[in-house]
Amino acid sequence: MLELKNIRYVKNTKEIIKNVSLQFQESQVTALIGNNGVGKSTIAYIIMGLSDYTPTSGSVFLNGEDISGFSITDRAKKGISLLWQEPVRFEGLTVENYLSLGGRINKKKLYEALELVRLNPNVYLPRFVDKKLSGGERKRVEIASCVLLNPKFLVMDEPDSGIDIMSLDMIHDIIVYLKLQRTGIIIITHREEIVTTSDYSYLICDGRIIRQGASREIIDYYKTTCDVCDTINVPRGE
Amino acid sequence: MCVTPSTFPGVNSTMDIVKAYEQEFDRLVKLYEEHTQDNSLRNNAVASIIVSGNRVVGLNTLNGIGVRSRTREDGVVIIDVNIDDNTVMPVPVHLCTGFLEKHGEQLLKFNYFIGNNVKIKFKSHCILRNIEKLHHKMISDVYVGRNSSLIYEDEHFHDENGGVFVEAITYAKLNQNAFFQNKFSATKTRIGKINLLVDLELMEYAKADLESKIYGKQTDEITIQEILRLNGEHAGGIAKSTIFATDWTRAHVVNEAYGNAAHTMGHIECNEIVKGENVSVSTVPVLKVVNEKAELTHEASVGRIKQDQLDILMSKGLSEEAATGIIINGLIG
Ligand SMILES: Nc1ncnc2c1ncn2[C@@H]1O[C@H](COP(=O)(O)OP(=O)(O)OP(=O)(O)O)[C@@H](O)[C@H]1O
Ligand SMILES: [Mg+2]
Repeated sequence: MLELKNIRYVKNTKEIIKNVSLQFQESQVTALIGNNGVGKSTIAYIIMGLSDYTPTSGSVFLNGEDISGFSITDRAKKGISLLWQEPVRFEGLTVENYLSLGGRINKKKLYEALELVRLNPNVYLPRFVDKKLSGGERKRVEIASCVLLNPKFLVMDEPDSGIDIMSLDMIHDIIVYLKLQRTGIIIITHREEIVTTSDYSYLICDGRIIRQGASREIIDYYKTTCDVCDTINVPRGE
Repeated sequence: MCVTPSTFPGVNSTMDIVKAYEQEFDRLVKLYEEHTQDNSLRNNAVASIIVSGNRVVGLNTLNGIGVRSRTREDGVVIIDVNIDDNTVMPVPVHLCTGFLEKHGEQLLKFNYFIGNNVKIKFKSHCILRNIEKLHHKMISDVYVGRNSSLIYEDEHFHDENGGVFVEAITYAKLNQNAFFQNKFSATKTRIGKINLLVDLELMEYAKADLESKIYGKQTDEITIQEILRLNGEHAGGIAKSTIFATDWTRAHVVNEAYGNAAHTMGHIECNEIVKGENVSVSTVPVLKVVNEKAELTHEASVGRIKQDQLDILMSKGLSEEAATGIIINGLIG
């Protein structure tokens, strides 16, 4: 189990995350939903342990072990990974070199991973992970990269953003594939059809969990309450 | 004047290994093969010029390629390379320069005359290993004829002693509609000290693409000057340098472009990535538009490796060191 306990995160005197506690199970899909700017990506970065995102207070536990002091690398080695909302570009680095992490993963696996995200390996392996990849292509390469890591827990920050609607079932297939590998998935998304396939949901508003439970119920609450919210980040119900 | 070895015939298809230097040839070729995993230097179907110290020790020419070499009394090796009109070489000509002593001076003067309608590529490797102190100076005078394409790739392999001082100077004139690509790289080992100068003159519709990539370590000193003189209408060129400067490296890059004729286009770019507190780098772009219909642009950056690039790679389990290696390999590898 991956657990966040009483996390607060203050940046430049702004309290972005306000005493948040979350639990994620292996082989389960947990959704984090909420309006733009409520703190979802911030939670993702806190889980991954980015240096600029050290919580002001609270702890992160992996199977009971306090990993709050762990670096990104150490967390990754423990099996935590992140699909970034906007994956960065690399000039001069081929998809092959990027996916294989400089030759650390064998080529056969790269083929399989690219096929899962529906990119032709023969076309894409020699291309560069630079500005010339489209947003959707870059996102697919990143999904392939995450799959290759075979993580215990994977935070997917808007895996569907930039992906054409014709290919949304690919995201669904990836989730099923990872679940079969027992990966615990934390999915951040604005897409109802993805939320409803998750096992559990947290609704986040203004850096707080305002509701949690079965995904259908949470999405319904969100749609009826937050959609009509007229104060940014504060739902009418509050 | 001492002339060793004498001239080589222009049309030839068997490897000419200068008898007296057979062992030297062998040692150098072995070193080359170790570094490149390539055995073209022993292949008769591949044209090659092999220089050790101050003499040519091996030569293989093919139809259309003429090479003459001599060593002047002052020790300068002069190599004339003539490519006949209409020569199209499907495989690159290999050029291997090495120095097998620990100390000394290696002075080379290349004269390339590339005829009209030629398509040719040179792959040059400078292998300067186990050197305590060496001055390696190579001046190339290049003429590229009309409608010809010349690609010249130069890769340096030195060692971690830093005792090599390289002066690589290229003057080239590109006639109408000629194309010249010049790529210089020294990224596998310390460079030592280097002065790199590439000065090009481009006539009508000629195009040039210059690229240099250097990895500086310890107390390496890097000076680069790349000049594009866009003298003919519609001439165009790009000059791009990328330097990764670590430790106490000092680097200074000057890229220049002169738009001297109408409809010329030039772009110069310098990216310097620094690591550590003690590096000192600078870059100066010089753009001069003489003709108002010329268009010149430049880009320059001096900075550290981007944190988000490190973060994303570390989130895949790589250490910061390994992540840096992958990023730099992409940029200058
Ligand atoms: N470094 C920072 N300094 C100040 N404020 C920040 C910083 N990073 C994020 N924020 C703010 O924190 C809040 C949460 O941002 P976050 O990126 O976590 O939102 P999100 O829920 O992922 O939104 P979206 O759905 O748009 O991706 C936003 O108001 C954002 O502007
Ligand atoms: Mg976000």
